[in-house]
Amino acid sequence: MVDLPPDPISMTIQIMTSPLFLKIAIFPGLASIGIIAALLTWLDRKITARVQLRIGPQYVSPLGGILQSFADLIKLAFKELIIPEKADRFFFLLAPIFGMVLGAGLIGLIPFSPETLISNLEVGLPVFLAFVTLSPTLVLLAGWSANSKYPFIGGLRSLFQQTGYEIPLWLSSIGVVMMAGSFNLSKIVQAQSTGYVLFGVHWWFIVPQILGAIIFLVTSVAEQERIPFDLPEAEPEIIMGWQAEYPGFLFLAAQGAGFIKLYAFSALFTTIYLGGYLGPGPLPPLFWSIFKTTVMVVVVILLRGAFGRVRLDQLLRYGWTLLLGLAIANIAITYFLIEGIPAI
Amino acid sequence: MVAEGIPELVYYLGFILVNTIAIVIVLILLVSPRDRKPTPEKRAPFESGQIAVGRGRTRFIIQYYPYLLMFVVYDVVSMFLFAWALNLRSVGAAGTVPIFIFVSVLLFPLGYALKLANKPENW
Repeated sequence: MVDLPPDPISMTIQIMTSPLFLKIAIFPGLASIGIIAALLTWLDRKITARVQLRIGPQYVSPLGGILQSFADLIKLAFKELIIPEKADRFFFLLAPIFGMVLGAGLIGLIPFSPETLISNLEVGLPVFLAFVTLSPTLVLLAGWSANSKYPFIGGLRSLFQQTGYEIPLWLSSIGVVMMAGSFNLSKIVQAQSTGYVLFGVHWWFIVPQILGAIIFLVTSVAEQERIPFDLPEAEPEIIMGWQAEYPGFLFLAAQGAGFIKLYAFSALFTTIYLGGYLGPGPLPPLFWSIFKTTVMVVVVILLRGAFGRVRLDQLLRYGWTLLLGLAIANIAITYFLIEGIPAI
Repeated sequence: MVAEGIPELVYYLGFILVNTIAIVIVLILLVSPRDRKPTPEKRAPFESGQIAVGRGRTRFIIQYYPYLLMFVVYDVVSMFLFAWALNLRSVGAAGTVPIFIFVSVLLFPLGYALKLANKPENW
């Protein structure tokens, strides 16, 4: 005889309403990730349209076409699933789905407020960056498995692009680790409340780490494959690159992963440079983290309207010379900020 | 210290698991209509409306190969720097001076490799 719990229904209700389950299922977990990714699609289109003196989506809903992305979602879900003739079916299907899982996994590390976080990992920052490192590999896998020319070129471009931006991305975040003395993202936020003191005021890490923050922003845009660094999916050159062969909901997954990464990177930038959930006034911490994340999302989207696409050799050359040099200089500057400039 | 982190790790792995299951279920639920017998034209690789020519996995000039080699070497440097940055306050100058020497020594071969990599005739 197996000892069943006395009342399965009340047990289920108890589990379903436990704080951890609600966090995983609602906010910052799954439901909110899906809705925010859909809303970011709309925001991206709307802001880009405004920059280009267009109107953007406007018919689907009372408020500026805000439901357009959900309409697109339904449209894509009912498109026919076509897998190219010579494709590697398993990896072709796996790559976008796994990419989406990785993207959503990033959100689980971000502390949106002292209580609103899924996991307070001691090694949060390296885990975030390690997950991010996997995504160009998935892009290469997607491009290779499609067995078609444009996806293959897109996948290879993604691989080369990664070599250009990744080391500056890691090195620029080292400055934050040096200042906070921890990999834990919550502790990094708390370190900013008693952080760098200049003129008698505690500053967030954006002030002592301004060089590192700029490098981090540039390299994280390159990681998200957004303009000006969208070489792997350059639309006018190689017709969406690695996404060219994806039909219907697989295209949805490929696109959705990009927008989830936009959300995750904006939240990470907020967390490590802009003081996370810290903020003045009586407003709740959750408000501040969401407000700052929204500001970062808009900044990254505006970059798309402001710049043209770089060439691959330009990206590699500047990544290996300018960005890498500045990142190493940033580490040296940070060291002398912490230890004081030695008397010569 | 390590034991403290284990529940958080379990939460995180649980989150990843729930994530995977949810995304796979959602994508399966969105079962798109499928053509049981697609025509060869439908399954042909997309080449801007032209009939596909040659291999899908085309020959590609790896002109940026030197950067890939450099990446393999210098990726490790950032790992060492992460370990040093975490313990910056406890290792003191005895740990910092070797790291500075290590990084500055590695900058010379980097400069030479970049000089070679930027020469068009080496592509």
